Amino acid sequence: MADVAASVPARFNPWPATVFVALCILAALFLAPTAGVLLSSVKTTRAIALGDLWSVPERVYLENYVEVLSNPAVHRYFLNTLLVTVPATFASIALGVLAGHVFAKLPFRGSNILFLIVVSGMFFPPQVILVPLFRLFNGLGLIDTLWPIILVHTALGIPICTLLMRNFFAAVPNALREAALIEGANEWQVLTRVSLPLSLPALAVLATLQFTWIWNDFLWPLIFTQSDDKRTIMIGIVNLRGQYTVAWGVQGALSLVASLPTLVIFLFFQRYFIKGMTMGAIKG
Amino acid sequence: MESQNRLWRVLLLALPILVFSVLVIWPLLSSFYYSFTNWNGFNRDYEFLGLRNFAKIWTDRLFFNAIVNTTIWMAAALVLPTLTGLFLALLLDRQVRGARIFKTVFYLPICLSAIVVGQIWIWIYQPDWGLLNTFVKLAGNPDFNYAWLARPDSALFAVIVAWSWQQTGLSMVIYLAGLTSIPSEMLEVCEIEGATAWQRIRRVVIPLLTPSTVVVVALSMINSLKGFDILYIMTGGGPFNSSDTLAMHMYNESFKKYLMGYGSAISVVLFLIALTIIGVYFRQLRKVDEIYG
Repeated sequence: MADVAASVPARFNPWPATVFVALCILAALFLAPTAGVLLSSVKTTRAIALGDLWSVPERVYLENYVEVLSNPAVHRYFLNTLLVTVPATFASIALGVLAGHVFAKLPFRGSNILFLIVVSGMFFPPQVILVPLFRLFNGLGLIDTLWPIILVHTALGIPICTLLMRNFFAAVPNALREAALIEGANEWQVLTRVSLPLSLPALAVLATLQFTWIWNDFLWPLIFTQSDDKRTIMIGIVNLRGQYTVAWGVQGALSLVASLPTLVIFLFFQRYFIKGMTMGAIKG
Repeated sequence: MESQNRLWRVLLLALPILVFSVLVIWPLLSSFYYSFTNWNGFNRDYEFLGLRNFAKIWTDRLFFNAIVNTTIWMAAALVLPTLTGLFLALLLDRQVRGARIFKTVFYLPICLSAIVVGQIWIWIYQPDWGLLNTFVKLAGNPDFNYAWLARPDSALFAVIVAWSWQQTGLSMVIYLAGLTSIPSEMLEVCEIEGATAWQRIRRVVIPLLTPSTVVVVALSMINSLKGFDILYIMTGGGPFNSSDTLAMHMYNESFKKYLMGYGSAISVVLFLIALTIIGVYFRQLRKVDEIYG
């Protein structure tokens, strides 16, 4: 009898299959909006207007991309965004490394409170500092240049960079630092030769996060720039809406091209990206 | 040694603290100052108004409207992504085939800019050929061409759905991180004791996820309070101010009407709301830390 029971296949469990199907449906729903833009970007305006947006095209129509990529304004927007994003990403991480080292390895009376003040900076709506910063940069004659955007992003990146670097540096054993100090290294060498090489993942996390946020930002370039040749790509999308009012395919292509750098970073460094998001959120 | 440490502290902290103070702390404090003035954004001079800007807040119909909209916006932006994110995390936690691909799909929108997300959803709501109305038409309503974003009744909720689409991945990831800390033995014991799947989730998993919930709730509220770009591109606060939140209202008063003094007063209100959320959040975090270690 026992043999017979064993040979009967295990009772069919419907759960894994149900969950899988449910996830497939949800994933399709989640992808639909992005897929729609992707599809429309390879279609003619006529096809879209005829209500043919959500079907797979018979022939891939690449003129929309040609239009976007040959538009000199788009080149300018891209260049400006790079000129803002790269230095601001670099500077905010550098400042976070400096402050994080002190908070992790050289605590002092009141350093916890100072740390808390710096970190809470990431929770406040940017609207709170909008008007005074506008007045400051207006007074300095820097409105309609890229400088205020770079500077503000550097400053606003300090909280998250300091938080993550402090947590990573705190995990570096004190014995390593002490050994280096006994060998005659100074604090700067401890930071650059001992702590930093051990914290490369933290740098990768911050680089992906900061690059994505700054690239995607809209508010600061909106406030600080006016002329078209100083605008960044996200403002560019809004500006070009007027030029391509019914050219939906071109708008779709532009949105995709503008998202490409952050999409590539996300797909290749997803691990770091998610780690940064959860660490930044949880380790308050 | 200690004197050297002191020197290094000053050397290393000088630059970050200087930048942070000049570009974050000082503007924050002077926002309070400008909220007592009538600065117009261009003239060097301004008058001191005392509390008149704050008195105006109480009579500004649009401010009241913005408070109502912000409450709806924040409440919906809290509930929708949190519940969807929790649901997805619970589904994904059971080693499903292709879990990694699913996670990427649900998480992908978070790396898109709010402007692109807005652009995508403008198309979904497009009255003539948008995805939503295409479905309604297919469902047997061929003349349906409701303009979701152009009607005061639906504009705010339409943007909320777009916003939730983007934010869900974030709460999912935080919940997934929380789920890994629940020991599987505990769930096995429940199963042996005869608890149903629903009982396990309601009585064991969700209570044990409290630390994650605290984080998700606080983060959702803070993020939605900051939310501006997506409203700007999708509705601009309209139609008829029906999707005008505090962040939008502050921008419009300051940079459209150039009432920067009054705009500062609104930003002070925003600051106080954020401060309250953060205060409660930090206290809850400490409480959670005591209970869950």
